[in-house]
Amino acid sequence: MPNGTVSVIKIRDILLVTVPSDPDDITVSELQEQVLYAMERHSAKGLILDISTVETVDSFFARTISETVKMVALMGGLSVLSGMRACVAVTTTQLGLTFEQTLTALDVDRAMDMLSVAMDDKGDSA
Amino acid sequence: MNTLCQGEMLIDTENDIVMARKSVREAAVTLGFGVTDVTRIVTAASELTRNIYVYAGSGIMRWHSINDSNVGLELVFEDKGPGIIDVKLAMEPGYSTGKGLGMGLPGTKRLMDEMDVLSEIGKGTTIRIRKWLRQ
Ligand SMILES: Nc1ncnc2c1ncn2[C@@H]1O[C@H](COP(=O)(O)OP(=O)(O)O)[C@@H](O)[C@H]1O
Ligand SMILES: [Mg+2]
Repeated sequence: MPNGTVSVIKIRDILLVTVPSDPDDITVSELQEQVLYAMERHSAKGLILDISTVETVDSFFARTISETVKMVALMGGLSVLSGMRACVAVTTTQLGLTFEQTLTALDVDRAMDMLSVAMDDKGDSA
Repeated sequence: MNTLCQGEMLIDTENDIVMARKSVREAAVTLGFGVTDVTRIVTAASELTRNIYVYAGSGIMRWHSINDSNVGLELVFEDKGPGIIDVKLAMEPGYSTGKGLGMGLPGTKRLMDEMDVLSEIGKGTTIRIRKWLRQ
């Protein structure tokens, strides 16, 4: 995938968003808006942010992703941050970024499972 | 092996932050840093170049390998911006005069082995960071 291109795929009620490996700040900011409008347009209930190719997560990227998760929650959607690489997990934690209240999964497969379960539960209790 | 690597680049646009990350990654990989240290160094460079772009408008990033008894990488971030009002406060997690998380400077200190901040109000800021290949 060319750098700077955000891919958005819809699978049933879930949007799968693949973050490019080394996005500039504009791409990251635009990703937020792109995701929110795509959630609305597709009436999606779940969002997977696949960051498995992302090599650098700095405080700007982290803030934008955390914000996006909160905004999606306001729209009634559930987000999973998927595929954070080991070196990135070490670095972001040392940097002091917490990603509190963000669901995470090892890979997209597991993120799909998590969302399916969570969305089923919601359906049952309604 | 005596790997020598050095370079400098102007930080003037948002895209220069991406270019800085690429250059620093290349230098750190060339010097033989492992993947986690490379990520630490690149992340620190991302924070400090963004600070230059956001707070000073423009500046310069320089890097060079250190080949003394210790082998490592040194990066210097220099701008002629407004300077940091209170360096001690700016090094505290969560302190931001902008709309950032206030984690850039304190986080960089944790990610690197050494960090010096020189700042004068009205004159600018120079930040030097170092990572050793082996200690
Ligand atoms: N190059 C710089 N020139 C002037 N002020 C700076 C510079 N770098 C950092 N600062 C000041 O230090 C504060 C803390 O920086 P940082 O830890 O990166 O957090 P953030 O960028 O999220 O505010 C900034 O809000 C700013 O006031
Ligand atoms: Mg900053």
